[in-house]
Amino acid sequence: MAGRRFTAGKLTIFAVQLGIGLSFLYPLYFMIINSLKSRPGYYTNPFNLPAAPLQFVNFTAMVSQFKILMLFRNTLIICAATLVLLILLGVLASYSFSKLRFRWSQAVYLAIVITLFIPAQVTMIPMYVMFSRAGLNNSYWGVVLAYLAQFIPEVVMLMTANFRAIPNEIIEASEIDGCGYWQTVRNVIVPTGRAAIFLTVIFYFIVMWNDLFIPMILLQKMDLRTVMVALAGLIARYTGDPPYQFAGLLLSAVPALLVYVVFQQYIIKGMTAGAIK
Amino acid sequence: MSRKDPTFRNTRQRARLRQAVLSILPVIVVLLAIRAYPIITALVKSFTNWDGLYKNDFVGLANYVRLFKNGIIWKLLRNNFVLLANVPIQVFLGLVVAVLLHERVWGWRFFRSLYYFPQIISAVIIGYLFRTLFGLEGPLNLLLIAVGLPGLAIEWLRDAGTALGVIVFCLVWSSLGWMAVVFMGGLSSIPDTVFEAARIDGAGFWRRTFQIAVPMLARVMEFAVVLSVVWTFTGLFPFIFSLTRGGPGYETTTLDYMIYLKSFVSGVNLGEACAVAVILLLIILALTVAEMKATARVDDWSE
Repeated sequence: MAGRRFTAGKLTIFAVQLGIGLSFLYPLYFMIINSLKSRPGYYTNPFNLPAAPLQFVNFTAMVSQFKILMLFRNTLIICAATLVLLILLGVLASYSFSKLRFRWSQAVYLAIVITLFIPAQVTMIPMYVMFSRAGLNNSYWGVVLAYLAQFIPEVVMLMTANFRAIPNEIIEASEIDGCGYWQTVRNVIVPTGRAAIFLTVIFYFIVMWNDLFIPMILLQKMDLRTVMVALAGLIARYTGDPPYQFAGLLLSAVPALLVYVVFQQYIIKGMTAGAIK
Repeated sequence: MSRKDPTFRNTRQRARLRQAVLSILPVIVVLLAIRAYPIITALVKSFTNWDGLYKNDFVGLANYVRLFKNGIIWKLLRNNFVLLANVPIQVFLGLVVAVLLHERVWGWRFFRSLYYFPQIISAVIIGYLFRTLFGLEGPLNLLLIAVGLPGLAIEWLRDAGTALGVIVFCLVWSSLGWMAVVFMGGLSSIPDTVFEAARIDGAGFWRRTFQIAVPMLARVMEFAVVLSVVWTFTGLFPFIFSLTRGGPGYETTTLDYMIYLKSFVSGVNLGEACAVAVILLLIILALTVAEMKATARVDDWSE
């Protein structure tokens, strides 16, 4: 009863939240309005709304000159291939760590998880040299393998924790029913552990979409670059044309933001439970 | 039947063991080839004048000695430690925001999603945005001139002090939502009655936050702090790249950014880059041990 009353305290809290919220919205608003201006328009006044002829040309140039759709395709290929491998390797290893435990299980698990904090920068130089000898530089496979090694410990951690909650009785029952290894994985582990698998897909899609370091080092060919690598180049080159750059930044943020808007409940729940960063 | 049982058990157990090992094998192969091998290589090459192509002679500790003698390493460490300021600021603001959201006032779900959104956009974008905002002819300086403070309209990213300040601000802005969401997870495990009772006893917002929430969140906070500290040492590459490129000079270059510079950009010296990598790895290792201890205690506490 008292909780539903519109008190001064609640109004204050709302106002403070709104204030903080505006500080998060303003940069987005700033990018949007200025991406529709001409270059002189931006330099005359970056705060006002864009004047009459809206410069949609900034966006169309992103498609025609910056080839942003090709960059999207490159990034999507890398994301899809990595996710397939992450899930395949992650599910199998986590099934073993959670349900098929053997004497050295725990030690191996710890050894895998401890690699979680090794930064990409530390392994990059030898990896770069190794990949260039193996012909994996300037190929999607190099990036996919680098991502796989970088993310698999965290995925194993997430999935193992999740699979532990699967009752052993279900697995035993499926074995009694004559299910082999692959059938148990497909019919028991994957369906009951789908929350962890799903979280892996959306979370690492966003992480890979936004990543700069690994693809920037491993992909120099213009036609193979990911969105963020090309964007980093765009930012460095056209320093004098912010509206054009804002258009690129906005377009490149759209796919990850779409995934977030649709699946935010899962992401925030996963964040709260597993605290991945 | 009963005589056959043990052998049946044995074959089954052996099949199980084989399955268990084979299931883990692919992950182990990947990690050995793409993580363990490169780390060992980096460690070995940090004692050489390796350039990736021709030179590969043992030079002892020369790379390390040079880093310490010319003082570069101190500058890198200084930058890393100054940037660590983002952690306490984030914890404080994250806590306040989490407690505010926990009041579940109208619209809190929307605000939570909104505060989290910088985590969804690339650090490349955020870094560029901040570079534009703090540019010489950027919006901030235009505002300062407009309100009659042209003296403050300086080149923010050209001076070590202000540039590091801008980076800290940028990191806080982009991670605040993450911190708040993690703290909210901790808060939701505290029974509502605790806050209710405190409110009835007349405890105001700040007392509720710092005398009730903080002690009960201690473990979650410890965990979040170590994670953020590790991130400050390892995750800043895209921010530095799009904001300052480590400049002017090495004034805003961090350890992880230096590895990139020494490997691929200017004054390339892979041996020296490996030496910086080893130093960074040692720091991370120390922090990871601390993190493991903290997580172990979080588990103890929640069980």
